[in-house]
Amino acid sequence: MRNLRLVAAAALAVVSLTACGGNQEAAQPEQSQTRVFKADNGDITIPAKPKKVVATGYAVAALLEADAPLVGISEFKRAVPMYSDAHKKKYQELPKVAGELAKETNYEEIAKLDPDLIVLGVPKPALADIDMKKLTDIAPVVAIGPGVPSAWREVSRKQADAAGALGKFDETKAAYQKKADELKKKYADVLPKVKMGHVGSYGEVAKGNFMNEFNGSWGTSIANDIGANYGEGAKAEGAKGVSEYPSIEQLTEKFKDAAILTYSNGPDGNPNAAVKYVLDNPLWKELPAVKDNKAFGFSFTEASTFQEALKTLDSIDKALAPLLKK
Amino acid sequence: MKAWRLVAALVLLCVVAVVGMGIGARHVPAGEVVRALLAYNGSPDHIVVLDLRGPRAVLAIAVGAALAVAGVLIQTITRNPLGEPGILGVTAGSSFAVVVGSVLGVSSQYSDLLLAIVGAAVASVLVYSVGRVSPLRLVLTGSALTFVLSGCTTGLQLLFPHALDKYRYWHVGSLAGREQQPNLVPLLVIAVSLVGALLISRQLNAVALGDTVAQTLGAKVQRVRFAALVLVTVLSGAATALAGPILFVGLMVPHLARQLAGASVGWMIGFAAVLGPVLLLIADIGSRVLLPTGEVPVAIVMAFLGGPVLIWAARRYGRVEA
Repeated sequence: MRNLRLVAAAALAVVSLTACGGNQEAAQPEQSQTRVFKADNGDITIPAKPKKVVATGYAVAALLEADAPLVGISEFKRAVPMYSDAHKKKYQELPKVAGELAKETNYEEIAKLDPDLIVLGVPKPALADIDMKKLTDIAPVVAIGPGVPSAWREVSRKQADAAGALGKFDETKAAYQKKADELKKKYADVLPKVKMGHVGSYGEVAKGNFMNEFNGSWGTSIANDIGANYGEGAKAEGAKGVSEYPSIEQLTEKFKDAAILTYSNGPDGNPNAAVKYVLDNPLWKELPAVKDNKAFGFSFTEASTFQEALKTLDSIDKALAPLLKK
Repeated sequence: MKAWRLVAALVLLCVVAVVGMGIGARHVPAGEVVRALLAYNGSPDHIVVLDLRGPRAVLAIAVGAALAVAGVLIQTITRNPLGEPGILGVTAGSSFAVVVGSVLGVSSQYSDLLLAIVGAAVASVLVYSVGRVSPLRLVLTGSALTFVLSGCTTGLQLLFPHALDKYRYWHVGSLAGREQQPNLVPLLVIAVSLVGALLISRQLNAVALGDTVAQTLGAKVQRVRFAALVLVTVLSGAATALAGPILFVGLMVPHLARQLAGASVGWMIGFAAVLGPVLLLIADIGSRVLLPTGEVPVAIVMAFLGGPVLIWAARRYGRVEA
């Protein structure tokens, strides 16, 4: 009887091992499928269909909305007010592997999650704060960050592509494009004809200056899609080419030709301290657009995905509606 | 003679203040600056001169006077020619409180102002409670607390990088963009404290001669020293709250004032209250014109001016001792 049990156990073991071996063989071709991906950090070989992705920075928002197979993310609080309830819940539930800044990356936490792809959504200069050697020892790393603010369109697509989650992305992009085209038609008689000015919200009040944003900046690039023209900035690379920080004394000089003024509001619809400093300044009331009651604030200018940008379009539409009244 | 010198210093202060109101990122013709002062019409030029640069000049005058007089007081009660308000840990206390506020998410112009004052007060109470026995112990305690608080501040910045982000703007003292913050109360506090400093100047003359001589002359040394410390805390705390930390004014102006006033503490206070603002206004003009665009924070300009003066003071006292 005892021998019979031993034989049965041995037979079961052989069958189990054979079955496991069979599974491995079946999974092998899928796992071994890779592709070469062009990222900010070079041509990187990544899994064709990643199963466990870690995202940081701007990639957090893009990959959450693309329903990528995320296993860990960094903090990215600026996008939270723009998420749907489901994405907010997912953002809160996912393990956090880094703070808001690249230098707050927790390598051990990332290693624990055993990802097969790491997507760093940080601008190139911030890569200097990351130990790439440590990360690449864990999994293939692709760095895909915005060079200029308006690049979020291409950057978010690239991030979704790396994570193998383009399906939903293209759907959302199409919805954004449709909405932007509709608004472009709606405001065709008022927006393209005039020069506009925008007060951004990333300035520092204590320095006595303000953020002036031109075409293609955070505060303006989505409004650009519906025909708004904020003029061109200085010929410089990155954000310096689309925005500037003049002294508050130059407010009337900078916006003297702007027929319409816009400014960035927070998600709650109220201006933050940097913008409020400008709106409360006595020079603000001297601007032609303000005297003409053509100064409008809109929210969600920090959008970096098409899903978020849909909210920005809604906010812009609501803010500019008075321009259509005759 | 001293009176005429003080009048000349006052005239210089007026001239520098008016010149300062004519210089900035927006070009305003000299005639328009004068018209803005005499017949304000609400035009953008006049707004820039009177509503933006005017409060800035007032701030420079108040902060300069507060730090310079605090410097006279601290040098007198510690009988240390290299003493300055920060030696009592006041500046470090303000900085620490502002960083703690940032870490806790309490961050606005109002809260920064309040936190800076509270931090300064708590730091000086700590220093006084430990070091009140003698001037030397006071200075040592202040220096020790400064190091401890600076270490804690740096530690918090490393642990909470967002606090560092906020603090890096605050910790370099500047007079730019402060016109909308609630300045009235700190300005009134400074004015009252300056009067208080003049009121105790007679007793300070005695304390400046040393505790034994002062007691022989009938001065209540401990009481005078305590009053002077309270004034130093309030003056430098309010100045730091208004403009952020600005070093060297409290160190170098007392030396300049001593050149003009001689040994009289009362006259030194008078001269310091005028020369401190002159120096800060000049540094503030420098901060606006040194870069083609933007500004250099006034604390940095002051540090460039202060370094050579510190060397001058050290050489001068070395020569006296020799």
